[in-house]
Amino acid sequence: METGRISAYKVEVCSTDQLKPSQRKLIEINGVEIAVMNVEGKLYAYRNACPHQGAPMVYGTVTGTMLPCKRGEYTYGHDQEIIRCPLHSWEFHLTTGKSLFDPCKVSIKKYEVTVEDDTVVIYFHKRPEKVSEKEVRYFV
Amino acid sequence: MNDHATDRNQLIDCDVHNFLGDLDELVPYLDLSWQKMMNIGKFKKDSVLNIGSFQFPHVRYSHASNPLRTDAITPSGDYPGTDPQFLVKDLFERYNTTYGILNVGHGSMSAYHNIDLTIAYSTACNEWMYDKWIKADPRYRMTMVCAPLDPKATISEMQRVAHRPEIVGLNLQNVNIPMGSRHFWDIYEAAEHYGLPIVLHPDTEGSGEYSPSQFIGPASTYMEWHTTLALVAQRQIASLVCEGVFEKFPKLKVIFIEYGFSWLPSVMWRMDKNWKALRESVPWLKKLPSEYIRSHIRLGTQPIEEPFKPADLISLIQMVKAEEMLLFCSDYPHWDGEFDERAFVHFPQELKRKIFYDNALESYRF
Repeated sequence: METGRISAYKVEVCSTDQLKPSQRKLIEINGVEIAVMNVEGKLYAYRNACPHQGAPMVYGTVTGTMLPCKRGEYTYGHDQEIIRCPLHSWEFHLTTGKSLFDPCKVSIKKYEVTVEDDTVVIYFHKRPEKVSEKEVRYFV
Repeated sequence: MNDHATDRNQLIDCDVHNFLGDLDELVPYLDLSWQKMMNIGKFKKDSVLNIGSFQFPHVRYSHASNPLRTDAITPSGDYPGTDPQFLVKDLFERYNTTYGILNVGHGSMSAYHNIDLTIAYSTACNEWMYDKWIKADPRYRMTMVCAPLDPKATISEMQRVAHRPEIVGLNLQNVNIPMGSRHFWDIYEAAEHYGLPIVLHPDTEGSGEYSPSQFIGPASTYMEWHTTLALVAQRQIASLVCEGVFEKFPKLKVIFIEYGFSWLPSVMWRMDKNWKALRESVPWLKKLPSEYIRSHIRLGTQPIEEPFKPADLISLIQMVKAEEMLLFCSDYPHWDGEFDERAFVHFPQELKRKIFYDNALESYRF
C-alpha cells in the first residue's frame, strides 16, 4: 500500500515472533534482495549485495571493530553495530549503511524497517510488483 | 549471480580448497604409530590432557574477521569446504565450472619440523583427497601434497600416485630453501617426467619451522603478512631463473597461486636489466629472463589487485605480454577470492577465454 512516506511502499516481512534476536530474513522485492535482521532487538534492512562484488550480506558477521586511535592503542567499539561482508570483510555501519573505509563514497543501501501491529515491515521505494521470501541457510 | 558468466562456456578454477572437518578423517590412512604421533583415533586426547600434544601447523596470524567465507558454511553447519557435494552446488554449479583444482585448504605440513611425520601425513592426505573428494564428482581435480624437504620421499610419493589422471600438479610449498636450489632438481626432473607442474600456494609461510622468511623479519599483523606474500613469489621466480632451472628442465612449469600478479612487470624488467649487465654470473641463461618467465611461470589471478582505474590491469597485462600466464582462481572458500567474474568485466573476450580456461589447460596436466 502507498503511505505518507515519499516514494515508499510498505511491504510486510513477517510477524515479530518470526524474527527474533539473531535471526535473519531474506526478502526479494521486484528482483531486489533485501536482508532483514534482528540484532539484539534492533531491526535492520539493507540490500543483500556488497557494493564491492555483490556477495550476499545476509551471511555477514555482525560485530564491533577497532576505533581509529593512536599508534600502539587498540580501542574496541561499535559492538554489534558493524556488519562485515562474508567474503572480503568490508565493514559497514548497520545504522547508516556507510562503509568504515570510505563512508562518503561506499555504502550498502539501507531500507526503513519497523514494527507495525506485531508485524515487521520495510518500506520500499517502488511499488512492490513481486514479493517473495528466500531461504536463509543459517544465521552467522 | 552468473550474469557475467554468460559469455563463456568453460572454466577451470585453479584454486579450490577442501578442508578436513576433523583430523580423525585421516585415521584410515595412517597406521597406529602415526596416529599416536598425531594424537588421533584411539589416541585422541581431550581436555587438559591435550597440553603438549600434536598440533597441526597453522598460520599464526589472526584475521580481523574470518579467513573463510561466512556465506559458505555447509548445510550441516560445518566449516566451509568440508562437504564435497555442497561445494559442487555452492561453487561449481554457480560458476558453471568445468574443472575445479583442489589445493588442500587446511594446510600441508611441508615446513613442519618432523619431516618423517610430514611424509606420512602427505601420503594420508593424498589418499583422503582422492577417496573423499575426487571420487565425489567428476569435476574435481587435485594437486598432490609432498615433503619438499625430502626430495627422495617426494619422488616416491609421485611414483605411488602421480599416474592418477585426476592429479594435475605437485603442491610443493615454500620452505626456507630457494626454489632454484639443486635441492629440488630431482623433484623437478620427476615432475617433468610425469608432466606435472610445480604449484606454490601460501600456507607454510609463517606456519612451520622451515617456513621461508619474508626477508626483513616477521610481519606484525595479518594485513602486513598477507600483503607481503607477493614478495615470496618474486624471490622464488628470481631464484628459479637465475639458477638455470628452466634451461635444465625445459618442459617444467611453475605455478604461483594466490600471490597476485601486478608485480610481474617489475620482476621482468628488473631481471632483464640486470641480465644485460651481469649475465656473466649466470652464463647458462641464453635469453632474457622475462622470456623464461613468460614460458615457464604461471600466476593465479587471485587475490586480484584493484587499481584506481580497474581497466589499468589490462594495460599491465599487455605491457609484459602476460596473456598466456594468468589462471583464474576463485580461492573458494577463502575470504580473499572473487565472488564472481565482475573483477574481469573490463577484460576483452579473448583474454577472458585464456584466463578462464585455455591457460590452465596448457599449464596443468590435463
